[in-house]
Amino acid sequence: MTKRLTWDGALGIAGVLLFLVGSYIGLFVAPAERHMGDVQRIMYVHLPSAWISMLCFTAAFGFAVASLWTSKPRWDRAMTGAIEVGVVLNALLLIQGMIWARPTWGVWWDWDVRLTTSLVMMLLFAGVLAFRAFIEDPERRAAWSAVAAIISFVDVPLVYFCVRWWRSIHQIQSTPSTVDPAMVLPLRINSFAVLFIAIWMIVQRARLEAESASGERVPEPSRLAPSEGAEHA
Amino acid sequence: MRALGQIATLVRKDLLVEWRGRARLFSVLLFGAVTLLLFSFAVGPDSLALRAAAAGFLVLALLLSSTMGLSESFRVEQEQRALEGLLLLPVEPVALFYGKALANTVFLLLLAPILIPVALVLYAVELEAARILGLLGLWALAAAGLSAPGTLYAAMTSRLQSQDVLLPLLLFPLVVPVLMASVKSADLILTGDPMAQMRSWLVLLIGFDVIYWSLCGVLFPYAVQEAQ
Amino acid sequence: MTRDDARPLAVRTLGLGRRFGRHWALAHVDLAVEPGEILLLAGPNGSGKTTLLRLLAGLYRPSAGSLAIFGLDPAKERLACRRALTLVSHDSYLYDRLTAYETLAVWARLLGRPAGEDELVGLLAEVELAERRDLQVKGFSAGMRKRLTLLRTRLERPRLVLLDEPFSALDPGGRRMVEGWIERFRDEGIAVLMASHALERTTRIADRALLLERGQIAWQGAAAELPARMERSR
Repeated sequence: MTKRLTWDGALGIAGVLLFLVGSYIGLFVAPAERHMGDVQRIMYVHLPSAWISMLCFTAAFGFAVASLWTSKPRWDRAMTGAIEVGVVLNALLLIQGMIWARPTWGVWWDWDVRLTTSLVMMLLFAGVLAFRAFIEDPERRAAWSAVAAIISFVDVPLVYFCVRWWRSIHQIQSTPSTVDPAMVLPLRINSFAVLFIAIWMIVQRARLEAESASGERVPEPSRLAPSEGAEHA
Repeated sequence: MRALGQIATLVRKDLLVEWRGRARLFSVLLFGAVTLLLFSFAVGPDSLALRAAAAGFLVLALLLSSTMGLSESFRVEQEQRALEGLLLLPVEPVALFYGKALANTVFLLLLAPILIPVALVLYAVELEAARILGLLGLWALAAAGLSAPGTLYAAMTSRLQSQDVLLPLLLFPLVVPVLMASVKSADLILTGDPMAQMRSWLVLLIGFDVIYWSLCGVLFPYAVQEAQ
Repeated sequence: MTRDDARPLAVRTLGLGRRFGRHWALAHVDLAVEPGEILLLAGPNGSGKTTLLRLLAGLYRPSAGSLAIFGLDPAKERLACRRALTLVSHDSYLYDRLTAYETLAVWARLLGRPAGEDELVGLLAEVELAERRDLQVKGFSAGMRKRLTLLRTRLERPRLVLLDEPFSALDPGGRRMVEGWIERFRDEGIAVLMASHALERTTRIADRALLLERGQIAWQGAAAELPARMERSR
């Protein structure tokens, strides 16, 4: 294989560089939040993780529909990549949420609407990945995991509304909305950074899957020599 | 319509098979009752705390019993590949889905006359007839909500190894809205509804039922299709 | 539906192939079966007979090539193909807890032509199950199950019958019965494809035979010549 830079590789490098710049601005240039102080700076990775993981699952839903519609393995591979990256980002965002909740609310976990919805969402899609692992036939695996991804994705808004109403019985912990313009810039930079890295990882993952699948693609055996008396009756 | 007749035939067939093997129905009933009992051990003999958690425990007992019923309902179809035999007949897979999902809903409904009284007695809840009827209606909505995605998933997992782990793994997070909505509504029925919150929960539960009864019907053909 | 031919072929395949994972179970199968023709599929275990029958029944999707059942594509005209053919496979498709009569009644109702009790009992009598009509299949022997499953070929009134080892598990009487049915199918213009190892019996009733080896057609010709051909390949 030649070491030529692919478009997604360039995107990945750009993402990492952007992430360094954005995090630098977020950590050292942007002002500290008035009430929460430096803890709030986790927002610069937390919100991008949340947004991009949601975007990954949305993309996975689109890929799943395309996969069922066309039954082309390409969409199945894209869907798997998107779900995997989405689940990883989702796990990161839950950990960041806990790190943030501890000093802010005094507890590791709070049944916050978005946090709870994210947790259910991660369980849903991690379940799809576990399900995939048990299906041997590639065509069946593609169809069944697309079915699971679709019904899981449709569930997300329902879970969100449920948790919101469920929570509304208790008092709602407000998320701070005082945003200094100086905070917006690193947030934007990091969002694009995470987006680029996510796309790069999804493409890498799909490519890896395609390579391992190519081992399964065996050409049709060559035709046997017709034996005597093989004319049509 | 032809499809409706086929669905009716399939439901009747499933219920007949179910009734002939009623030992299973009874064991699932017993299982549900045992879980109700165990929940009360987890809370302790404090009748106030038990009453507060009664709605949640009742719905959890339904959820846990449902997975046993669902995976079993497709074991019958896989034993001698009867499902393939049905697919070979001029029957739309959609009809197979609605037949199975309806039969599974009826199966879960049959648990209500035992599990609801057991819960009321164990958790010391006094209830007048009208509210018991309300609880039954809620049970039907929850059973329908579990059956639609449960039937779709069971159709797939029943052909895999580790189906006993996979079905709950996939189904439980999916039915979180059903769980929340029915626990909340059941709680409002049991302890009263001064703020008239019932409506929004019921809308959510019915919404879930409508969405998944349609969506799973559309997706079921892909779950049983011949591509393999 | 437009047809070039007044009487389309019951089965037409071109370069039909099916791959499972890394293994091609069937490849390059070109096949034409006329209505009313009886074709015998022979070949050792694993030569692709069952795969071919399941492809024709629409239970597998082809990995290569094309196939048409009475000019119809099974992937597109699913129900029409299902109505045209019946497959009797290794699996009995029975429910243990239904009785023989209930089993037939369910099939008939799903076929959309509710049959009267007399007709169903008549069918059961043909396979000598009339006295056991109200017994659950659970207690049936393998041969009795096979007889019941074989009734699908009569109940569904297909134009193409696919039989995978139709004679297995049957007693001599049962085998004679199936033989009689197959001959009647020919008279009624119904095409029959059967995979069997019972060569002595099947070469007598089949018009044509097809020998599969490692998923490909190794030979095809008159059924009567098959034993000689198989002798040579040994």
